[in-house]
Amino acid sequence: MARIYQIPSHARTWLTLGIVAASLPQLLRGPLWQAALLLLVLGWRALIERQRLASPGRLVRLALLVATVAATWRSFGRLHGPEAGTALITSLFALKYLELVSKRDAYVLIVLGYFVCATVLLFYRGPGAALYVSGCLLLLTASLAGINYSDTHARRRQHVRTAAVLLGQALPLAVVLFILVPRVAPMWSMPLGGGQARTGMSDTMSPGQVSSLTESSALAFRVEFQGPPPPPRERYWRGLTYSYFDGTTWSQARPRGWRDRDTLYRGRGAAPPWYQSLLAARGDAAGYRYRVIMEPSQRRWLYALAVPFTDLDGMGLARDWRLVADHAVDTALGYRVHSVPAARAGALTLEQAERDLMLSLPEGGNPRARALAEQWRRQYRDNSARVNAALGYFRQRPFHYTLQPPRLSGDTVDGFLFGTRRGFCEHYASAFTFLMRAAGVPARVVAGYQGGEMNAGEYLQVRQYDAHAWAEVWLSGQGWVRVDPTGAVAPERVELGLRGALQRAGDGADAALGGIGRLPLLFQLRQWVDYLDFNWQKWVLGYRQDQQRALWQRLLGGVSPWRVGLALMVSLAVFAAVLGAWVLLRRRDRPITPLQREFHRLRRALARRDLTAPAAASAAELAALVSRARPTAARAAGHWRCLFEQLAYRGEQPPARAELAALARRRRALLRALRR
Amino acid sequence: MQALDKALAQVGSVVLGKTEQLKLALACMLAGGHLLIEDLPGMGKTTLAHALARVFRLDYRRVQFTSDMLPADILGVSVFDPDSRAFSLREGPVFTQLLLADEINRATPKTQGALLEAMEERQVTLDGATRALPDPFFVVATQNPVTQAGTFVLPESQLDRFLMRISLGYPSPEVERALLAGGDLREAARALKPVIDPSGLIKLTAHVAKVRATDELLDYIQRLLEATRADDRLEAGLSPRAGLGLLRAARAWALLHDRNYVLPEDVQAVWSAVAEHRLQSRQGGSVAAMTQSLLQSVPVVRH
Repeated sequence: MARIYQIPSHARTWLTLGIVAASLPQLLRGPLWQAALLLLVLGWRALIERQRLASPGRLVRLALLVATVAATWRSFGRLHGPEAGTALITSLFALKYLELVSKRDAYVLIVLGYFVCATVLLFYRGPGAALYVSGCLLLLTASLAGINYSDTHARRRQHVRTAAVLLGQALPLAVVLFILVPRVAPMWSMPLGGGQARTGMSDTMSPGQVSSLTESSALAFRVEFQGPPPPPRERYWRGLTYSYFDGTTWSQARPRGWRDRDTLYRGRGAAPPWYQSLLAARGDAAGYRYRVIMEPSQRRWLYALAVPFTDLDGMGLARDWRLVADHAVDTALGYRVHSVPAARAGALTLEQAERDLMLSLPEGGNPRARALAEQWRRQYRDNSARVNAALGYFRQRPFHYTLQPPRLSGDTVDGFLFGTRRGFCEHYASAFTFLMRAAGVPARVVAGYQGGEMNAGEYLQVRQYDAHAWAEVWLSGQGWVRVDPTGAVAPERVELGLRGALQRAGDGADAALGGIGRLPLLFQLRQWVDYLDFNWQKWVLGYRQDQQRALWQRLLGGVSPWRVGLALMVSLAVFAAVLGAWVLLRRRDRPITPLQREFHRLRRALARRDLTAPAAASAAELAALVSRARPTAARAAGHWRCLFEQLAYRGEQPPARAELAALARRRRALLRALRR
Repeated sequence: MQALDKALAQVGSVVLGKTEQLKLALACMLAGGHLLIEDLPGMGKTTLAHALARVFRLDYRRVQFTSDMLPADILGVSVFDPDSRAFSLREGPVFTQLLLADEINRATPKTQGALLEAMEERQVTLDGATRALPDPFFVVATQNPVTQAGTFVLPESQLDRFLMRISLGYPSPEVERALLAGGDLREAARALKPVIDPSGLIKLTAHVAKVRATDELLDYIQRLLEATRADDRLEAGLSPRAGLGLLRAARAWALLHDRNYVLPEDVQAVWSAVAEHRLQSRQGGSVAAMTQSLLQSVPVVRH
């Protein structure tokens, strides 16, 4: 009968822990049967190890394999793609544990475990995830060390120490590879669609949509400014504009007859006139320079302050100053923006089709609002006066800012303006834009985020609860001007952010934010964690092709392949040399003693005088060598030998400095005697 | 130490021309270790054992090992005494101060094992009762080279129980001539006068343990041990027990030369006798040459 490989018991613990740890993230995310499968395998394996059960035969293994593949197909509808593939790999990893027949199988299992660890990082990517995966690697490496240790009495802990040393030694190599290995697009941008929920703004706005976002304190994006950040009341992060209203819902629209390329410039081909005029208006105005690091949103729109200029790499600028990514943002995305408010002046003409869209209203409905607007239109000739009239209206009537507005139905604008008068930013933005259009002022709703918190004075965190909607109106001579009707009702919303506004209003919705305002310590802790996460995003996940090239340029003075290749080789060589030197030096566990040095001083001095003693010579042999060759020096040699033996083999304590000096004197006397 | 010199001279008067081996044998006894003498028959092994027993005035017994021997033939046996109606132990030949185990490799492993166990434990357990062996207790075993027919090779684990292994070898022509002229030396050995009594031997053994070995010297011994372990011509390196034995033997050698501290030369003198029988070569070849070459390659003073 063939011998079945037995994992040494001191390695088994680590292997089992490593398997469970590496599989756990998938088990938490995937279908329940995967956890059941792993438990089954672990139990079975334990019984095999105790020799209560035989190893499964070929038929049983085949049946398990078919069942696993079928279950994966049933759960995911396919076998390829990141989710299904990872699930399948993780299950097969568990199954492999069942068929350990030879030591080779154990190697395959552990290497597969490393691969499963790598798949974890497809789905989880914070510093926490990296730490967790490092832990898994430690366990797997410990088991790898364990199965290579034949001594049955090996200590478990010793494997972990070995593994930690190995991983520590691998770390500099990993850093070098991280910096130098080129990012290959298909590997570094695996699409992970579908599985993740879309968060943030949607492409339509109806009452209640933005306020639902405020229940989430999830991060939307972070901004790192070069230079001072703008004051809070200027932090309007534009994401979308809504130009079409059907009576209840605002949505994005293009002017009639226009096509995509009329409104979006992706940086390819000739720049359209509107873009050129924006550039011209920008001139060399300072504005704000910053880098946005966006969380995956599964949407294409990007957020920026008004009028954003970028390198248009992988994104385009829309005519209404929105940034639109070429693909939905499915991994953390960093982009640099230069926002110049003064560039608004570059858009001072409104084409007819555009004007028509910005004034369009549904056929009927909301008669009272229309009547009010009509009254302003007749009363004021000037558009800005009409805007002020509307803002004054919001300010003077008893409007109330709340996260829990009463439900509206039918003519929602009328119901809000003249009935409930309680609402959230989208109610104000929607009603204001409606009034403006009815009063003949071109207007649109803008959605995005407003405000954000500075963390450690280094970067701004913008969270989902900072979601906001406001309006922009067209004023001849000024172009599009931002108007925030919410600010007219609740100025603190703009100045202090949502949390401040709600605290001041005494609104019970503070609880909706997880009550974080009430626990300063917890808040502080969360800020720290976020700080860590930010730097991780910035330096590790955000390290993509462009930064890599910039770093190469700075470190290597160029990005040509041979330069990078050479740098890689040199780094590896340096690494190997350092490791080698360390291994060699470490062999000398204790430094050589002064006495030993003295001995070899004489040995070398004799060798220079053609009295070469073997490397393994003792003091007596040295003396005998001298006596044989130069009988005249025999006495001096005897003196030296006597003292050396006295100090080395007779003394209770290591020799004192004076004794060593005496020995050196006898050595010199011996050498003098040789000269005679 | 005069007494030791005298003892050496006494033994030397019956085992001619083998001073180096006699000193090793004496050092082995001073170190409290058992001695294995490997030689062809008729080389004076028995005479040596006899002489050693005489000069230290030790009880002496000799057992000729044969293949049909049982453990009881060495250790003793419980017999029922009809008068006292009780079992009493009839002690075997092992209950003596110096046991000459002649041709130990003729006995079956079982019998060899019984003796070697007694050597290690310095006690014998029979029928549940444990009896201590006399103090001092030495075994001088002789062995024919294993190529001879009808022998059972002693396994390494048991060879380890012997502190030293020596072989006397053929005498030089002059000595042989003297032998032929001189008559029966075994009779002469029996007539040797004691020089040191057993209690004196015990004192000397205690003295050996006090001979100073400095860190420098211990380092040297350790380097030697490590060298045997790193040498891939050898099956396995020396055990820590072998290392302790080496140190003890070196101390005894130093004492034999009237020094109360160990020199590297002492270690080198006992090295082959202590190390050789515990090592096995991996691909054939002479272990003796390998142990000697190790001694040449390991630096006495680290550099």
